[in-house]
Amino acid sequence: MNKKACAASIECTDIILESISDGVFTVDLHWRITSFNRAAEEITGIPREEALGRYCWEVFRSNMCEGDCALRRTMEVGKSFVNSSTSIITGDKKQIPITVSTSLLKDEHGDILGGVEVFRDVSLVEELRRDLKSSFMFSDMVSCSSVMQDLFGILDQIAQSDSTVLIEGETGTGKELLARAIHNLSRRKDQPFLALNCGALPDNLLESELFGYKAGAFTDARHDRQGLFSAAEQGTILLDEIGDTSGAFQVRLLRVLEERAFQPLGSTVPVKTNIRLIAATNRDLHQLVEDNQFRRDLYYRINIIALRLPPLRERMEDVPLLVERFIAKLNRRKNKLIGGIDDQAMQLLRAHDYPGNIRELENIIEHAFVLCPEGLITAKHLPAFLSLRSSLPPESATIDAVVAASERDAIINALRDNDNNRTAAAAQLGMHKSTLFRKIAKLGIDLPHQDGRSPHRRRK
Amino acid sequence: MKIAMTVWGNRVSPVFDSAQTIVLAEIKDRAVTWEQREFIAGQIPTRLARMLVDKGIDTLICGAISEQPARIIEGAGITLISFVSGNAAKVLGACATGTLNDEFKMPGCRHTIGLQHSEDR
Repeated sequence: MNKKACAASIECTDIILESISDGVFTVDLHWRITSFNRAAEEITGIPREEALGRYCWEVFRSNMCEGDCALRRTMEVGKSFVNSSTSIITGDKKQIPITVSTSLLKDEHGDILGGVEVFRDVSLVEELRRDLKSSFMFSDMVSCSSVMQDLFGILDQIAQSDSTVLIEGETGTGKELLARAIHNLSRRKDQPFLALNCGALPDNLLESELFGYKAGAFTDARHDRQGLFSAAEQGTILLDEIGDTSGAFQVRLLRVLEERAFQPLGSTVPVKTNIRLIAATNRDLHQLVEDNQFRRDLYYRINIIALRLPPLRERMEDVPLLVERFIAKLNRRKNKLIGGIDDQAMQLLRAHDYPGNIRELENIIEHAFVLCPEGLITAKHLPAFLSLRSSLPPESATIDAVVAASERDAIINALRDNDNNRTAAAAQLGMHKSTLFRKIAKLGIDLPHQDGRSPHRRRK
Repeated sequence: MKIAMTVWGNRVSPVFDSAQTIVLAEIKDRAVTWEQREFIAGQIPTRLARMLVDKGIDTLICGAISEQPARIIEGAGITLISFVSGNAAKVLGACATGTLNDEFKMPGCRHTIGLQHSEDR
């Protein structure tokens, strides 16, 4: 190539480098920056004239610089690295997520002149990822499961309706969160939201909590005391565990709902009330009605709009979203920088069946936060009761290990489904009882002392 | 005055967030009278801030730092002089003699070294 052609080629390369949206810089063999394109200036916020001649780490300021520099690895092993993810810090302390690709810079004779680093600002990608995630969020709830998405879709209309709502769901499924979401979306959102767990209180205490009392209504009632119905006037009251209330209380509550008035204990004067009632229960209220344990008239009075919150085991696709949310929440609360959870730990979390539902998952993550100083949460940070850990095959498992892990899972599930009755579990698994015992011994499955047939006899 | 500085070999560590070593030093009569290196890789900012406070550190000198750790350090009552670059011994010496100036500033930082902590507050 003659000198003129060479100069034209260099000029052409410069034009291309100035036009592209990826940041590009080159360094010499002493790590000093020798070129810095327009996009690099824009992404880092550093003018070219300040960058040229400086050490690359003073300009680039990525988390990789000190310990795991991609450019250094390229220079050492002569190999390109593509799309390593990291972040850089700008002069105003902002972190910009980027991807980095590196390669050697050689002259026309193949001699190494230094290195080239190409980096891309992926803030927009991160933003879109957040947007996508926000479509899985509703108020303080997060879910990508179709059942919950359907629920989110009608929640606004339900909130606007002002009708009484019955929320059914196992403990820890987020009934109070849903009730709060309904309140926050309703026209009552600027008024109080008060919640009371009815199952925890005896009748007389429950009534005094809800309706208040007048001085002298009972011993120790020295002053008038306002109840929840007065305190939440114009707002919303959540009565949790409504299925655990007595028949006498149910009669009183029914009258309040029908007459829109209540009488504080010790008073003969009814007080008008304008509250929205949301009732919640972790029991099958319809079945309680059938069993004459819950008043049919009250059931129909509160069952105007019934919402069912599925247990976590029916929406396991939400586990990663929930984990991410809890990590972000705990990072804020505990001032930590936990980056996430590794694959094996996530596998363990997805293998658990969560009898305590979302609350249990949150507690597990909080446990991990205690043991994990920073970086990623791994299996060793999770509570020991996630003993299924041992049933998970290692990443490089042989086919025998995978089969053993599956057998172990199937046996544990069958035993649980049949209250640890070995004969029934063997029948469910389609094997003879003695085969089941042999496999239990071989796989080292711990059996409970009770066997499901005779709960007391075998207790040690 | 007791100061701390995140270092990488003989230089100021480029990024506080991923720094692995910290130098603790005492300055008396415009000279560094005591110096000690500590390994801090894997330490969360809150624990590091607590450690610095426990050791009576008044000022932290570092390279680039992101918002959250900066808030934690400053929240612990430590004066933060960030976006500093260069030879660690020279930076320490300049700090002792009160000549830590913009010569040690990382490129692309509009603020002035030494004043930054008060501007940020």
